[in-house]
Amino acid sequence: MLKMNNINKIYRTELVETHALREFNLTVNEGEFVTVTGPSGSGKTTFLNIAGLLETVSQGQYLLDGIDVVGLNDKQLSKLRNEKIGFIFQSFNLIPDLNLYENVEVPLRYRGFNSKERKRRIEQALEQVGLAARMKHLPSQLSGGQQQRVAIARALAGEPKFLLADEPTGNLDSLMARQVMELLKDINKQGTTIVMVTHDPALARSGERNIQIVDGQVCDFSLYSSNNNEKTA
Amino acid sequence: MFSYYLRLAWQSLIATPIVTLLMLIAIALGIGSAMGTLTIYHLMSADPIPEKSAQLFELQLKSYDKKQSSWGGMNDGFPLQITYQDAINLQQAKFTTTQNFLQTPMLLTGFAVQTDDANIAPKLNSARAADSDFFAMFNAPFAYGKAWDKSIDEQGVEVVVIGDKLNKSLFGGGNNVGKTLYLNQKAFRIVGILQHWQPTPLFYDVNNGAFNDAEQLFIPFSLIAPNQYRSWGNNSSWKNENIYTFNDKLASEIHWIQYWVELKTAKEKYTYQQYLQTYIKAQKQRGRFERDDASADLKDVTTWLSYNEVVSKDNSVLVGLSFLLLVVCLVNTIGLLLAKFLRRAPEVGVRRALGASQGQVFLQHIIEVAVLGFTGGILGVLLAQLGLSLLKNNYNEYKLLTSMDLTMLLTAPVLAISATLLAGLYPAWKICRTQPAVYLKSQ
Repeated sequence: MLKMNNINKIYRTELVETHALREFNLTVNEGEFVTVTGPSGSGKTTFLNIAGLLETVSQGQYLLDGIDVVGLNDKQLSKLRNEKIGFIFQSFNLIPDLNLYENVEVPLRYRGFNSKERKRRIEQALEQVGLAARMKHLPSQLSGGQQQRVAIARALAGEPKFLLADEPTGNLDSLMARQVMELLKDINKQGTTIVMVTHDPALARSGERNIQIVDGQVCDFSLYSSNNNEKTA
Repeated sequence: MFSYYLRLAWQSLIATPIVTLLMLIAIALGIGSAMGTLTIYHLMSADPIPEKSAQLFELQLKSYDKKQSSWGGMNDGFPLQITYQDAINLQQAKFTTTQNFLQTPMLLTGFAVQTDDANIAPKLNSARAADSDFFAMFNAPFAYGKAWDKSIDEQGVEVVVIGDKLNKSLFGGGNNVGKTLYLNQKAFRIVGILQHWQPTPLFYDVNNGAFNDAEQLFIPFSLIAPNQYRSWGNNSSWKNENIYTFNDKLASEIHWIQYWVELKTAKEKYTYQQYLQTYIKAQKQRGRFERDDASADLKDVTTWLSYNEVVSKDNSVLVGLSFLLLVVCLVNTIGLLLAKFLRRAPEVGVRRALGASQGQVFLQHIIEVAVLGFTGGILGVLLAQLGLSLLKNNYNEYKLLTSMDLTMLLTAPVLAISATLLAGLYPAWKICRTQPAVYLKSQ
């Protein structure tokens, strides 16, 4: 699903060069649930941005679902992002002026679906996260957990192959966090590949595999059984 | 996607009502002032008779003596009007059929007008004395009747053509051909009634007010001498003459008559110019036109209007200034748009993450700018209309120049949208170039 070979990402200013990722190698297979951990400044967010096609690499090769994305232009990258990737952010990133229906509709609009198809997908996605009854509500009328579920519905509506989650439970209390994680596991079971960045060691164990990034490189990985979070390798 | 962007634009505009209002005021003020001055300029500089403006010529004669280095106040030394004696001489040539192009001498005069209805009080009306060719030359449209017979151009008969406005005020409208009108208590038979006719500018007599109402009374020029009708227009002379009687004036060097000729081809113009040279030569033999550079000049309608500076330089400057104000308003709008759009960078970041390309983000914002421009343009037109009606109500000379025609009504929104789009290009470009990753974490 995702294959990064010798990726380097360098931020340059007039005074300083920062290597955010160096010789970064990672393969995520289709249907996997991979968690990414690492200390602050280790390069987790840069990895996520590159994986999500929000940033380009300085060097290296990145294959997403078999497509070499290095060198694609903005229009091609945006199309690929829209079709293949769903995003879930720590701060939900819902558009405050749009109601739930309209928020979930955003990626479908850019996909060019007709109104009937959009409606079907929005209703199905909101149904899946248990918020179908609140379509006309604004984000500000929902709790944090509900807002994150809407964000998940928005990510799911386009039926992406690949879900990128950046600290999806970071702004939630433990009960809501557990509910969101259960939802993500369900989604993964239905075949969607998930890569989730987290600081929380407990959440890191909820994936099938955890990789640790330190100083812009993958330094370790662990495998967990999907049921009891037991470390197996 | 266009309707989606329109909806987003509307939502965005009502989400920030104060900023939207400020931008609308700025655009409306800029467009209003630009359109107001442009309307006046446009109407002032319009070709009043485009179908034949290149075929109608005002005649000028440099007839003054050698003592004057130049006279008449114009740069080329040609007086704006001609003398009665020259007008009559040229008119006579028409009757002899050798120079029978459509042509007419003319004079602004006026009368106290009465009808047989004793209930209608006499009222003063300006009148134009001209030959019957006047109506055909200037495409004056008849509602009823027609111009008087050409024979009347030679022997004065009391007939009159009236305008629709006077027809309505005196008779309540309708066909009143054959009825009698009393001009200074003298009976005139109505032979024709014009439809509404208002050349703007009133090109055929700009020295008596280029933006005055067209006259509502037209009488034969041949009545001037026998009835001793006075001029209501400009009279000027280079010669110190003793003028005791009306006949003295007719024989004098006073310039008070306008003379127009219709020459359809270059050949006709050449022929007439040759005739004028012959005429000047003959006048020289009579002791007139004594200057070496005595000559005639023919100016077509557009040349005549610019020669007389019908659109003064002040008007051009005013249009320039009002467009400068539009630029200032747009610069302010750029600032407000930039602030508004950049404040929305986190939302744009989300849209980019969800699949919007830079082009789509740009289009979304530029459509919002266009909606703003269109609304501002409509408000600007209303503002311009308000300004023009204030001008119309307070200054009589602007009466004919304060109505937006279709061209101006269409120009306003086009100008508003293009100007605002121009102003919105930079903010929209700036916002579409934002790095989404920066904002996704920080929201």
